[in-house]
Amino acid sequence: MPKPERERGRAPRRGRGMGRRKVCRFCADKVMLIDHKDGRMLGSFLTERGKIIPARVTGTCARHQRHLTSAIKQARTLALVPYQTTYPQ
Amino acid sequence: MPNRRYETLILIDIEQGDAGCKDLVARIRTLAEGQGATISQLQEWGARELAYPIGRQRRAYHVLLEYRATPPALAEIERNLKLMEPVLRHLSVRQAENAPPAVNRAMLPVEPPVMPRPRDVEEPAGDVGNGELNEGEGV
Repeated sequence: MPKPERERGRAPRRGRGMGRRKVCRFCADKVMLIDHKDGRMLGSFLTERGKIIPARVTGTCARHQRHLTSAIKQARTLALVPYQTTYPQ
Repeated sequence: MPNRRYETLILIDIEQGDAGCKDLVARIRTLAEGQGATISQLQEWGARELAYPIGRQRRAYHVLLEYRATPPALAEIERNLKLMEPVLRHLSVRQAENAPPAVNRAMLPVEPPVMPRPRDVEEPAGDVGNGELNEGEGV
C-alpha cells in the first residue's frame, strides 16, 4: 500500500532548503587552520573555474570566510592556487 | 624596535639548475642574517608545479623562511628579494606570536597540482536569494 499523503518520487522539502544545516568547517574542526600556503585545502573552496565559493554555499562563518578569502588571494600571488582556469575540453 | 615573527615564501626560477637554486637560498639566508634576523626555520620544498605558468615556467623552486626581524630589516629583505632576478615571486606575512611553526610541506606526500575539484553544488545564478523560485506551486 503506497503512502497516500506523499507524491510519488518527490522527497519532502522544507521551503527551498535541503534540510541539512551547513556548519563552518573551520569552527567544527579546530585543528583545521586557514593557511595561505596550503593550496590543496584552499582549492576545496574554489569552483572549478577558480572562483571563491560564497559562504552561503559552503556554510563557512563570516569570520572564517574573511580569513579564507585573503588566504586564497595570497595563495594566488604565489601560484599555489589558480586565478582562473579554462574549461577542460 | 619590536622584533616580530615573519615568514616568507619564495619562488625561485629553476632555469639555473639545482645548484644555482641552493646558491640563491644561501644568499637569501646571509641576507636575512645580515639584517639581524634570527632564522628559526628554513624549508626547501624543492621544485613544484605552479597553478599557472609564470613567464615560461610551469615549475618553481619553493623556499619557506621563518624568522624574527625588525620591521626595517624586513623592508630591506623584501627590497633585496625584488632585486634578485631568479626570484619569481615572494610573499612575507607576519605570524602570530603563538602560531605553531609551519609544517614542512616537503615532508608531506607529493601533492598533485591544485585542480579544484568539480563542484558538487551548481554555480549560483545571478538572482539567488530573492525569495521563492517557481517550484511548481501555483497553477
